[in-house]
Amino acid sequence: MLKGKLTSLVLNFLILAVVFVMAFPIVWIVMNSFKEAADINAYPPVFRFDPTLENYKVLFDIADAEASSYGTLKVEFFKPVINSVIISAGAVLLSLIAGVPAGYALARYNFRAKEDLAFFILGFRFAPVLLVIIPMFQFFQAIGLYDSYFGMIWVYQLITLPMIIWLCRSYVEDIPVEIEEAAAICGAKRPQIMLQVVLPLLRPGLVGAALLVFLLAWHNFALGLILTAEKTPVTVALLKLLNPGISFYPVVSAGLVVSMIVPIALIILGQRHLERGLTFGALK
Amino acid sequence: MATVTVAQVTKNYGAFTALHSIDLDIDDGEFVVFVGPSGSGKSTLLRCIAGLEQIASGMVRIAGQDVTTVDPADRGLSMVFQNYALFPHMSCRANLAFPLKTEGVEKSEVSRRVEEAGRLLSIESMLDRKPAELSGGQRQRVAIGRAIVKEPKVFLFDEPLSNLDAALRIKMRVEITKLHRQLQNTIIYVTHDQVEAMTMADRIVVLRDGQIEQVGTPHELYFHPANLFVATFIGAPQMNLLPCQSVASEVGKTTSIRVGQDTMATLPIPNVELTDGALTLGFRPEHVEFEKPLGDSVKLKLKTDVIENLGAVTNVHGQVLITATDEVDVTVSSHSQAVFEVDKSIPVWIAVENCHLFTADGTALPRDVEPPTWK
Repeated sequence: MLKGKLTSLVLNFLILAVVFVMAFPIVWIVMNSFKEAADINAYPPVFRFDPTLENYKVLFDIADAEASSYGTLKVEFFKPVINSVIISAGAVLLSLIAGVPAGYALARYNFRAKEDLAFFILGFRFAPVLLVIIPMFQFFQAIGLYDSYFGMIWVYQLITLPMIIWLCRSYVEDIPVEIEEAAAICGAKRPQIMLQVVLPLLRPGLVGAALLVFLLAWHNFALGLILTAEKTPVTVALLKLLNPGISFYPVVSAGLVVSMIVPIALIILGQRHLERGLTFGALK
Repeated sequence: MATVTVAQVTKNYGAFTALHSIDLDIDDGEFVVFVGPSGSGKSTLLRCIAGLEQIASGMVRIAGQDVTTVDPADRGLSMVFQNYALFPHMSCRANLAFPLKTEGVEKSEVSRRVEEAGRLLSIESMLDRKPAELSGGQRQRVAIGRAIVKEPKVFLFDEPLSNLDAALRIKMRVEITKLHRQLQNTIIYVTHDQVEAMTMADRIVVLRDGQIEQVGTPHELYFHPANLFVATFIGAPQMNLLPCQSVASEVGKTTSIRVGQDTMATLPIPNVELTDGALTLGFRPEHVEFEKPLGDSVKLKLKTDVIENLGAVTNVHGQVLITATDEVDVTVSSHSQAVFEVDKSIPVWIAVENCHLFTADGTALPRDVEPPTWK
């Protein structure tokens, strides 16, 4: 009894330690985003300060330039957030449209060099993006896709599509093929089987997968840095905040907090969809 | 008329041939069971009839119509799968309604037929639940319900009871038999369980290695197995086999055999011609008698080894001495309440009309006996 309590005490302490290590940078960033420039570099670090919204005002260019303690800088952070939403959501959507049928085919059909093809697709995940980025830059400029949403959504398929295909393949493999056969015998044709049986069963898995690859797309940096000028994603916009060369860390912190809001909101909203397992229990 | 005809159907998986040129005719309203060990091709044959497998050659006809290249959806069939294959995201009601909706049946008619099927299978109270909330037996009923709402020409069952426990299996077996009597549809039922086959079938198709070993009524299979495989596959405990020699034969009438050194018997099995004297004598455990019967019989000495008392039946496992060195394992069943002792040598008799003879290649010699009226 005592031993059990001691064990749970130790385990709880370890969990708290892990949470502390993982949460500290986030908490620190959130705190910094409400500090004034002077408090940022204070040593020893300040934990009690008068919070200010000025950094956020500067970030969205709401603050009157003169009133800001950073002088007459012009920051426009709202647009990069929108850019990131458009590019990431567009990339996920395109990946779902292309990747679900591909994953289904890899799961259900046998064809020549199937495993080689599957591995080749996965290969994009471990090829360094920097390898392709310079030729991409020239190529995109040549065909007019440089600094376009469509070009970015397209190139983001490098990140999102392989994951969607592989996850979808494993989800389809989890659905007993007899369920599809039963639908066929019930008189359903291919499109009906896909729309009324397979997709509803895949939905919880796909929502989870879409969420996962959205996050991957959201925090990508290199592609946006090289291939955009105006339509920069939020990650690149954050870097640009550092450029002024002055003590801009509070505003960068505010930018970081803002860039975290979309993914965190999505995780909270999509959490219940992450529980897959709808198909289990149908079997036995 | 929902007849099913399978003509010269061959199915290959790569280099492996799963079905070798199968021919089979199934009558309207007949309950046919495909039985065989795993890998015998029984499920494959069913799936070929369903259209879930493409055949390499041959033809499948349903209700007189060639459906060899027709989509499963358009063959007018229903199928119940081993793992039920219910749609887990739909309520039971939606599961039952699915085959009707795909056919474009009117809404009021859909709900009428779903309710009717629910009543027939006593699942009305569960219609609004999801399959995951039901027990195995209930899911099986929903699966059967989904098959019957469509009012198909032919029902296919692919080992529908093998995921259920023993008691439930017997219950569902009876229910499916009753359902067939009520609906009068043609049923093709796949099982590896010979008891299911014997109890439910009008006709049984015994398959092995992608070939039909024998087609016949349970009665025919039990009393006139075509070969050693069918003889040992049908009946539990399985038929006992002893090596024996033919000694003298009145061609066309009887066969006289010798078992071991001193047992001789003349069996009512017309012998066409026997070049090789080596034969196999077969007899079922339940046909062994412990007192000398009135007519001719084969007498053996059984050394008892293991006694299994099942209450109604006692199975005695032991050995029969063929020669001084050659023993053969034998199982006998007694329906009397006689008490057996282990390690005793007891005399047993098999009436000659209960004996089977098989040639060296396993083919049964046709028996000239009138079996008792049965079934």
